[in-house]
Amino acid sequence: MLDFNRIWLPYLYLYIVGGGIFCIGMFIILKSKSLNIDRLRHKKWFYILIFGLLYYMGIHGLFTFAAIGKAIISLVIALFLVGMIMQLAVTVFTKSNKI
Amino acid sequence: METSIQTSSFFWVIIFGYFTLVLGFGSFFARYNKTTQDFFFSGRRFSWWLVTMSIVATGVGSHSFLKYSAKAYEHGFSSTMTYMNDWFFMPLFLFGWLPIVYYTKIRSIPDYFERRFNPGVRVLATIAILGYMIGYIAIGFLTMGKTLEPLLGLDLYTIIFIVAIISGVYITFGGQTAVIFTDLAQGFILIFAGIIVFLMGINYVGGFSIFWNALSPEFKLPLAHFNHPANFNFVGIFWQDGVAGSVGFLFMNQGLIMRFMACKSVHEGRKAAAFNVIVLLPISTIVVSNAGWVGKAISVVTPEAWNTATKLDHVFTQVAYLITGSEVVFAFVIAAVAAALMSTVDTLINAVAAVVINDVYRPLVKDKDDKHYLKVAMIVSAGATAVGAVTTIFFDNFPTLYEAHGFFHSTMTPPLVVAIFLGIFWKRYNTPAAIATFLGGAVLMAIGGKYPEIFISPFDHGIEFNPERPYSYIRALYNTLVCSASGVIVGFLTSPPNEEKTDGLTVWSLNKAREIFKGGAPNDRPGESIKLQWVVKESLDDTVEISINDMEVMSADVGDMVYLSDERKWLGGLKSFHSVFGEPHNEDGKVYISQNHVDSAMLDNKNKLRAEKEL
Repeated sequence: MLDFNRIWLPYLYLYIVGGGIFCIGMFIILKSKSLNIDRLRHKKWFYILIFGLLYYMGIHGLFTFAAIGKAIISLVIALFLVGMIMQLAVTVFTKSNKI
Repeated sequence: METSIQTSSFFWVIIFGYFTLVLGFGSFFARYNKTTQDFFFSGRRFSWWLVTMSIVATGVGSHSFLKYSAKAYEHGFSSTMTYMNDWFFMPLFLFGWLPIVYYTKIRSIPDYFERRFNPGVRVLATIAILGYMIGYIAIGFLTMGKTLEPLLGLDLYTIIFIVAIISGVYITFGGQTAVIFTDLAQGFILIFAGIIVFLMGINYVGGFSIFWNALSPEFKLPLAHFNHPANFNFVGIFWQDGVAGSVGFLFMNQGLIMRFMACKSVHEGRKAAAFNVIVLLPISTIVVSNAGWVGKAISVVTPEAWNTATKLDHVFTQVAYLITGSEVVFAFVIAAVAAALMSTVDTLINAVAAVVINDVYRPLVKDKDDKHYLKVAMIVSAGATAVGAVTTIFFDNFPTLYEAHGFFHSTMTPPLVVAIFLGIFWKRYNTPAAIATFLGGAVLMAIGGKYPEIFISPFDHGIEFNPERPYSYIRALYNTLVCSASGVIVGFLTSPPNEEKTDGLTVWSLNKAREIFKGGAPNDRPGESIKLQWVVKESLDDTVEISINDMEVMSADVGDMVYLSDERKWLGGLKSFHSVFGEPHNEDGKVYISQNHVDSAMLDNKNKLRAEKEL
């Protein structure tokens, strides 16, 4: 039976536990200055890392809604993902080849 | 009863033709192997796109078409889970482990353990990593055997024996550059082959809407049931594959680490890894799983066409045979998959050779010339192939490849993964704590394996206890926790290591690592890359000379590191070298280099060089 536990419990577990691991990772690399957002190149990496998490949350959400027949919500998520990808492309590619 | 698939001699001509072409392509680049550094790391020269495409073949090969097609047929779209949960560890990989391995120039993962702890811990890490890689090689061989079993009608072990000989010969003479270039070609071909299977499959069942509607909503959910059944559930797979498997693949797979170390810089390595996870993994997961989804749709839409006796590990071969409708296309698909599996195995064989030479042989047999070590590396490659082939006997006892791989990840990866993690991110983690992680962790893992109902069940998240294969996946959580607890407790009870000893070896001292890498303070002033005409100057050693104005554009100083590559970007850095800025001159647009640079990079006279300041 496709109840809440079947559909959303794995999703919540994935992004609460996995998201927790991700946040700990971000905290460590920011605190250690390994990811130093004062540097332009690292600032872009900061955006890419956050984008990656939202991107996967979006893909899993999109397919979950599509599977249970909520096509409109899937479409909205798909549009959101496209917007995010375009925003990322602009962020990544709008600078010179400065190192 | 499952029947074997009929093929003509034409089919085998195509298969052998394909293999000859791909292996010949890789072997052509073996001429770039001049030293063990080239044999193992390709001289740190490649662009991100070349490395990321070659990673596809390594990753897809190891998480094979067969095992995911089997699970996709049984459980639906949730077969994609294992490819779609790698991002959680990317911050720690991109800005922790990757720069550490790159800047410290470690030759192998155990080498890191000696620098961070002591030679004793290096021995423990060597044992753990060799066990991990040999197991991976064995699973690769077993997969290849199972791919070809329904086609050849030969005994599984005879097929494995033949495949092992071909792989062994190839890697023994090719080295890392050959592997990277073979994998590059394979990466493109695999994605193409997988997409062809998907499109032809959709066409076979009558179009996308028929395909979509033939599958139940539960089948289409991207994540499995939380804790049921015991052999495929979300939470078990999250810990086994999402955590132990992903971290194992990213952080302790020597083959993959060597691939990133073949990048021209840390930044390129980061781009290769990020592009791989964001773009190529979602595509790859469709590529490897879709045969299972198509198989299920065929069994619903045209049940008369589906052989219900098909073994799960043969679903991919069966679907490819049914839908391609042409022996040429079928032969191409099978050749692409088999050759991809070979790529994975070759990468690992090369990695085993790197570990054995650098962690076992060099410390024992010192002061030999590089040619000697290169020769021994080739012999070790052949030996690793043989051991991997024999180890397949153990993994063949599991019902499916997926379960064999799952058990392997859950058991082999936790001690090394925990030791790497604590080593990189916890300054207080010291030698006794690392030993406790390996030995204490192993003892507690063994106790858990012996009495799973007592020790693992508190972590089972409600997964049913299967007495035959107790907690195949969720044991990864228990194993990770006991290894971590052993290390953390001993770490707190003993004195922290001397800060100087850990300089450059933890995420907290990466600037020091960059300083050691360069041999001086890094220069982070933003600069531009420029194109230069090169001229040989005999008196130069390992430096290059560029004009004052050009150095200004690059924001470079004398002593900074520089990367020079052929101006043709599509070569991906194949013709390139690293050097150091020497004293500047006044001839703008010109770079003086040594004959050694020309020889090592195999430069062409007519092409300019692109120069980029590294550090």
